[in-house]
Amino acid sequence: MRIATDIGGTFTDIVYIDDDGAIHVNKSHTTPPNFEQGVVDVIEKCAIDPAAVKDLTHGTTVVINALTERKGAKTGLITTKGFRDILEIGRGNRPDLFNFNFKKPEPFVPRYLRLEVRERLDYLGRETEPLNEDDVRACVEKFKAEGVEAIAVVYLHAYVNPDHEARTKDLIRQLWPEVMVTASHEVSKEWREYEREYTAVLNSYVMPTAKAYVDKLYHHLEAMGITAPKYIMQSNGGTTTFEKAKETPINMVESGPVAGIFGAAMLGKMLGEDKVIAFDIGGTTAKCSLVDGGEVKTTTEYKIEKTDRWPGYPIKVPVVDIVEIGNGGGSIAWIDNTQSLRVGPQSAGALPGPVAYGKGGTHPTTTDANLVVGRLSKKNFDMDVDMDKVRAAIQEQIGQPFGLTAEEAALGIIRVANSNMLNALKLVSVRKGYDPRDFALVAFGGGGPMHAAALARELNIRKVIIPNAASVFSAWGMLMTDLRSDDIQTFFAPLTDPDYAAINAEWRKLEAKALRDNGEKGVQPENVYFMHYLDMRYQGQDHTVKVRVPDEDLSPENLGQFIEAFHKEHFQNYSFRLDDSPVEIVNMHLASFGRIEKTPIKEVPPQPYTLEQCVKEVRPVIFEEAGTLETKIYDRTKLSPGMEILGPAIIEEVSASSVIYPRMKAAIDPYGDIIIETEV
Amino acid sequence: MAEKHVDIITLDIIKDSLLAAGEEIFTAIARTSKSPIIYECLDFASGLTDDKGNLITQGNGCAGFLGMLSSMVKEVIRKWADTGRLKEGDIIIINDPYGGGGSHIQDVGVVMPIFVDGEIFCYTANKCHWSEMGGKDPGYSLNATEIYQEGLQMPCVKLFHEGVLDEDIADIIRANVRYPDLSIGDMWAGVAGLRTGEKRILDLCSKYGKDTVRAAIERLLRSSAEYSRQQVARIPDGVYRAEDVMDKDVHGNGPFHVQVAVTVKGDKMTVDFTGTDKQTAGPINLALAGLHSAMRSVFLACTDPSQNVNDGVFEPLEIIAEEGSLFNAIRPAPVSCYYESMQVALDLVWQALAPVVKQGQLTAGHFLTVGAYTMNGTHAVTGAPFVNCGPTLGGWGAGFDRDGDSCQFCTGDGETFNIPVEILESKFGIKITEYALNTNNAGAGKFRGGYGLILGHEALNDDMDFGGAYGRHERPAWGYAGGQPGSTNGFDFLRKDGSYDGPYGSGNRIPMKKGDIVRMVTGTGGGYGNPLEREEARVAMDVKNEYITLDDAREIYGVEVDPVTFAVTGLTDARKEYQRSHA
Repeated sequence: MRIATDIGGTFTDIVYIDDDGAIHVNKSHTTPPNFEQGVVDVIEKCAIDPAAVKDLTHGTTVVINALTERKGAKTGLITTKGFRDILEIGRGNRPDLFNFNFKKPEPFVPRYLRLEVRERLDYLGRETEPLNEDDVRACVEKFKAEGVEAIAVVYLHAYVNPDHEARTKDLIRQLWPEVMVTASHEVSKEWREYEREYTAVLNSYVMPTAKAYVDKLYHHLEAMGITAPKYIMQSNGGTTTFEKAKETPINMVESGPVAGIFGAAMLGKMLGEDKVIAFDIGGTTAKCSLVDGGEVKTTTEYKIEKTDRWPGYPIKVPVVDIVEIGNGGGSIAWIDNTQSLRVGPQSAGALPGPVAYGKGGTHPTTTDANLVVGRLSKKNFDMDVDMDKVRAAIQEQIGQPFGLTAEEAALGIIRVANSNMLNALKLVSVRKGYDPRDFALVAFGGGGPMHAAALARELNIRKVIIPNAASVFSAWGMLMTDLRSDDIQTFFAPLTDPDYAAINAEWRKLEAKALRDNGEKGVQPENVYFMHYLDMRYQGQDHTVKVRVPDEDLSPENLGQFIEAFHKEHFQNYSFRLDDSPVEIVNMHLASFGRIEKTPIKEVPPQPYTLEQCVKEVRPVIFEEAGTLETKIYDRTKLSPGMEILGPAIIEEVSASSVIYPRMKAAIDPYGDIIIETEV
Repeated sequence: MAEKHVDIITLDIIKDSLLAAGEEIFTAIARTSKSPIIYECLDFASGLTDDKGNLITQGNGCAGFLGMLSSMVKEVIRKWADTGRLKEGDIIIINDPYGGGGSHIQDVGVVMPIFVDGEIFCYTANKCHWSEMGGKDPGYSLNATEIYQEGLQMPCVKLFHEGVLDEDIADIIRANVRYPDLSIGDMWAGVAGLRTGEKRILDLCSKYGKDTVRAAIERLLRSSAEYSRQQVARIPDGVYRAEDVMDKDVHGNGPFHVQVAVTVKGDKMTVDFTGTDKQTAGPINLALAGLHSAMRSVFLACTDPSQNVNDGVFEPLEIIAEEGSLFNAIRPAPVSCYYESMQVALDLVWQALAPVVKQGQLTAGHFLTVGAYTMNGTHAVTGAPFVNCGPTLGGWGAGFDRDGDSCQFCTGDGETFNIPVEILESKFGIKITEYALNTNNAGAGKFRGGYGLILGHEALNDDMDFGGAYGRHERPAWGYAGGQPGSTNGFDFLRKDGSYDGPYGSGNRIPMKKGDIVRMVTGTGGGYGNPLEREEARVAMDVKNEYITLDDAREIYGVEVDPVTFAVTGLTDARKEYQRSHA
């Protein structure tokens, strides 16, 4: 048996696959601040035999929580003389263009804890001033006196020559063995000092918290008798061991969310769709990501707390490329100061939650609107829903100002929410030069199945896939992962008459390191595989495009192939190619994977029900164009593979509802997924 | 369902679609441009206007272009549409600062009418900083005396006739610029943006019907105007004045007297610059459309900077400036550094209104310069020639509840990024000697101004030139409500022979030798409130953080701080006296 658990805001999910390939899911409450307890609870709830567990994968929010709640360690920074203010200067950008009272991000490390050391490398990594070890000693003394708990060491050009940073770290270790230290080259080997500096600083900042959490979880699991290998989900779409996770916890920043995206890519592969748009609607946000060729895209342009009006903080580790907007089931509907209806980004969250929860929420949300139009049923909620209250909230706050009934207002809320989500979906597709018609939409999370069909129709997407485990899909995705690590090395190399030997030697270096890392994780060399990427650009450009290149050495024979791969990718992203322009490499990126043996997923058995017997009820549901229709409501758990349902229809399960519009057709595939054809 | 009910929601959804179309046009241009200044610096704006040239939506990478799309479209309407000579598929090109352009010649606009059912339904337009437009210096000149030296002018002429490129115009462009491929590439990026805009509008009209889309546009403009009037009405009626002195230009003319009277009456606001000095022979003049842009920025800052930007918002705003003055210059005044007077004009209104708008909306004065510099030479390792140019970071003013931000670009910029040290050194083969906050005791106050920058570049070759245009070199940023003024901007040279050369406010192509260091040094923003009111703990932390010295703490803030523990050990008599008299 293989297990995956994922901690969310409200629930901790579990998905496990037994040895004959059957998938099981469950949920229990998340237990802040002792999150490991929720994991133990949900495993116990399933009565799993600990001895039968082959491996366990875990997704956690502990890192992102420490960052957003500013509950990390007191962190000190050691940097090159003349440059301690880099962290405070930042990049100078101001996305809130017309706000003359703009407030830029506060540095995570105050100036008195940003200390300088005499040392200097030039851009080729040549030492122009030796490392002054006395300066390092003075820094350590000061940090001790100030009660610092973690240190980041960041020197200019350490991405090309890490020697000074490594020696500084060694020296700190000798002087103060118990303090936690990150040297920037350990978390990022890309140029741009501000971004690399924040990556190192934030890694140190979350290190003590992450270490304590991982250790606690480990001991709880061991105490339950789960002695099998344990992995943690990282932001790059792969996993790592508990031990490695403690060294570079910053790699866990998007631990949970990316697993769903990765899962969508894997499900697409299983179903023969290598072009999918993954779409996840939760309580407060909707996330989407485009998967082309079966592979999730990673980026090192990730930022926390960035909005369209605020720069946020950069974390330059590979993160699956996700667009996230403040539109989920709990998003609040409101009327703005120009009398327009808006939905989100404010969310009622889990507490007080939508009006329907009866926990004191008074603002109407998307969930409330879906209840009023009949797409959600009060019978499908954990709690007793007071429909009069829900209807009244929508009628009074949204209906009255516009002269609408509660039903009309509710439909308006859904249409505006859909309009917001449509824009996010366009952002990952149309605006990046992809035609959505070539893609299937994989919709999951609590709200994905409810909104997907309408959005697919707007985008002319023909096929929507609602996975079998839609509401716990991140955990499902974790079961599909391998161990993954990414080494990105800034290695500037023009490809006009390139130095083949130097480039290939760099690959060997990266591969040797990856094999070593995998060995430390207990992966045998024969189970390690690589993907080679180059961040490339036309000479004179500043930005790069990440290109998957052939997994072979660069040679005069295949140089053209490498360059053509770049032209193609550039054309995809920027709609032009410059065939006569010289091309250069900026970063070499090796993704290395440690294969984990997976049990093939079994087809689900047929259920003993006819289609008619799967109908729970018939109730009026309001649709955008067709108006109110008497609609059959199906029980998803009773449906068998091969069944087909014509819209209008709704397929209900415990924590999600799939809406099938008139003139659409839904079919159950052999794995229990719902496949909606939007044009019948 | 009643018809009217559905309509309001539909209109809102169309409105959202229009705003999204604006963003989509913006990304289309960024995606298709081959010029780093467009796709990396986002030095462009794009949007849609209605059939009268009223802005519906605009995507911006920097604040400076606000309002310049409508002025171009209005020029197109005046010259082409009103005379019945505008056809479907036509595209008009404009960079004439005095004929709808508003900024400088390097900012090139294109405008296209969108026809629905054979008549003009609306317009789409964009304006991008092209890499090269010819003229006497590469990039652009910092010391022209007439506009004719600044580059090729295109005065609202047809670039496309019914969908077909006018190759004659393209040839004229090619013949007048230094890098024709880049400039023609920029042209195509603009055209791609127009076509995206046209496609989205046609999609919307076919989905909802053109009358419904028109109704949505009218509702957007009307509701924005209503909201904007409410915002203006919240500012107390009165006439608010400010005056200032603008630095000498690069030729030594000036300094210049500038002034404004802002009249708020009910829900209308009038800004009147009458009394400001005449235009000059240096390139710091501002065309009227540029002044409109500056006023729109500051109007938003004074009302609600987060609202959707369209011409409804600016309905309550009236702008007056004498023809031939610095802020309403006429041909042939040079304009390449127009943004410096644009900043000054904007800052005057800021000074005038800071005390009367909602508390917290406007801070004390900021460093007020783009701080444009150009550096050229050859790479010390590779020998490749380089040009490094861009804006400079500086200090912003303090607010009633906060210290000013340190090291931001000026208000005219926006999604503008500095260049990392590691990139500067790799790309240009120079050495960065320091990248630091310019901490000093200026801008003191209950809340202090943000700090400017000290950025040192050391030449590693003998052939480097440096040029810069730094405003507020003579007069610092203004303090507010008892806060002290900030410090000034400029650059200086630490020569290899040990001599000091500077400080300068502006200069074109000043030679540097190997080992010489040029330092850009920008100012602290203005402070807010009396420094003797600054919380003792904040003063102590400022000492601990080495923002100020122990002496500053004592002499300016009246706080005695222990040099080892940084605990507050006492207050000076001056501070005690201040507290007594303000108890």
